[in-house]
Amino acid sequence: MRKSVSTAVLLATLGFGIAGLGGGTGTFTARAQQKPETAEVKIDNFSFGPSELMVPVGTTITWTNRDDIPHTVVSTDKLFKSKVLDTDEKFSFTFSKAGSYPYFCSIHPKMTGKVVAQ
Amino acid sequence: MSVNPFDARTVLLAKHAQHVVLIHFPIALFTAAVAFDYFAQWAKSRTLAAAAYFNLLLAAVSTVPVVATGLAAWQWALEGQKLKGILLMHLVLGCLSSALIWFVLWIHLRIRRHPDESLPKYRLPIEAVAVLLVGLTGHLGGFLSGVNGPG
Repeated sequence: MRKSVSTAVLLATLGFGIAGLGGGTGTFTARAQQKPETAEVKIDNFSFGPSELMVPVGTTITWTNRDDIPHTVVSTDKLFKSKVLDTDEKFSFTFSKAGSYPYFCSIHPKMTGKVVAQ
Repeated sequence: MSVNPFDARTVLLAKHAQHVVLIHFPIALFTAAVAFDYFAQWAKSRTLAAAAYFNLLLAAVSTVPVVATGLAAWQWALEGQKLKGILLMHLVLGCLSSALIWFVLWIHLRIRRHPDESLPKYRLPIEAVAVLLVGLTGHLGGFLSGVNGPG
């Protein structure tokens, strides 16, 4: 009787342990999948850097204006459009669909860039 | 960005070319007008005064398309969003400069209707201030467009 109780306790402990380990692994995997991807584009000296960026779908890109001049970030396809960004101001957009997204500065249309989400 | 030659917006406002090109006319004409007016005052020359007047007249007229294209660029390229910083200063100084150019023209026009009267001397400091404002507006515009900037 005593032996069977001990065996039951041992099995229960093992069961909880495995369940806990499994749950832990599952949580870790879920967190790794849900962790949002981010990338940065700096606006400096009348250019976007990097001018072309390849990112996984779901990535949030943040543009930061490091220039002394105001700039904008405007998608050629009108998918996104920032307000006028003064020095050190930021604009973010999440690319939830795969595709190629060219953009430009509407104040200085010669300034162009591209995001490729895949 | 591709340029579509059949798209009116692109043709009229591609890279804000019209505003950037047209702005040189009032700057040059008004500066020349003021220079002629100062020389006319100094030399008491009616010929130089006439040259000043016609330069001033053309300068004032040329502010109309400049202001129009500037406002159009604001409305179309920036969708009329609230301006701040250098853009706001450029807009305000541009409007002030244009108003001063028209005010100086009005002073000259008023006297031309009465040939027996001479131009008031107080116009000279007003013209000097207007030249400074025009220069500052142009400098900010050049800074915005990248001509005067680090690039």
